[in-house]
Amino acid sequence: MSQPLGHEEFFTSLTTLLTTTSQKTRGSVYLTQKPLLATSPTESSSPAPPSILIRATDGNTNAPNPKTHPNLKDNKKKQRESKVKLLTVVQPHELETFYARYADVCKAGMTGLKKRDRKQKKAKAKGGAGKVVKG
Amino acid sequence: MPSGPYLPTSATYLKQSSLLLQAYPDTTRITTKYTFPSKPPSSSTTKSSTPQQPQPPSTTTAPPIATLTLKTYTPEAGICLKYRTNKAAEVGRLFTALGLLAGGTDITSLDSGVASAVVEGADEEGTGTGIGAGAPSAAATAGVSAGGTQGAGGKGKGGKKKGKGGKK
Repeated sequence: MSQPLGHEEFFTSLTTLLTTTSQKTRGSVYLTQKPLLATSPTESSSPAPPSILIRATDGNTNAPNPKTHPNLKDNKKKQRESKVKLLTVVQPHELETFYARYADVCKAGMTGLKKRDRKQKKAKAKGGAGKVVKG
Repeated sequence: MPSGPYLPTSATYLKQSSLLLQAYPDTTRITTKYTFPSKPPSSSTTKSSTPQQPQPPSTTTAPPIATLTLKTYTPEAGICLKYRTNKAAEVGRLFTALGLLAGGTDITSLDSGVASAVVEGADEEGTGTGIGAGAPSAAATAGVSAGGTQGAGGKGKGGKKKGKGGKK
């Protein structure tokens, strides 16, 4: 399957993926984190903390809808190729740095979520009109 | 995958996830899903002749609001915890917390710094789910006031103890 990317490359691709999805306002991005276990079976109490495997995918949700694109419906291979899959491995000592960056990338890319500003404006408008909403 | 409960606050979700990670550190995985609601089929233009034509912004003026769903899943135990939000303001804090979880930090035993920031942040943001957010502070206040009245009534020691317990 696909090879792990370097952190820089991963963040660049993730930014693109999130931005594209946000602009389309359609589809999903799945981010998974799990410990990367050693290939050889070890004792239950492993001495060193494991590396973390980070995966990002669009789950092929950015592919054209086969209902609206009937000419692509049967071309399963092409559909699969359009699926975005990213992965990277984070060493235990890199976790803090990585996650600081990860949080920033996601904050910047997930623009489809409700903004704080809009909410505050709404609350203010409500407060002006009638009762102040309890915080 | 089994569908688990949606927890009312991010603080609860993170605490429970931390416990799950402690119990099953090797197999627990956390998935974060950033998703837009799927459009109803009626709104889509079904013109097969021009598939690349962008949809006219006819009826839908406001853009759809995306959702962020966090899911902690342990196949070993079949336990699944979920938290869902649509607030952009929560993203940074949630990912920071995920980093702590990934590093195996015990969020439940951290009583200062990030953990309290996470909890306080939840209070701030959790206006939609007031019960979970409001309860701890209310309990703390009750503990303090109870301690105060008892102290005034002459049972100083008992009151103090209770007050401390309530305060955290």
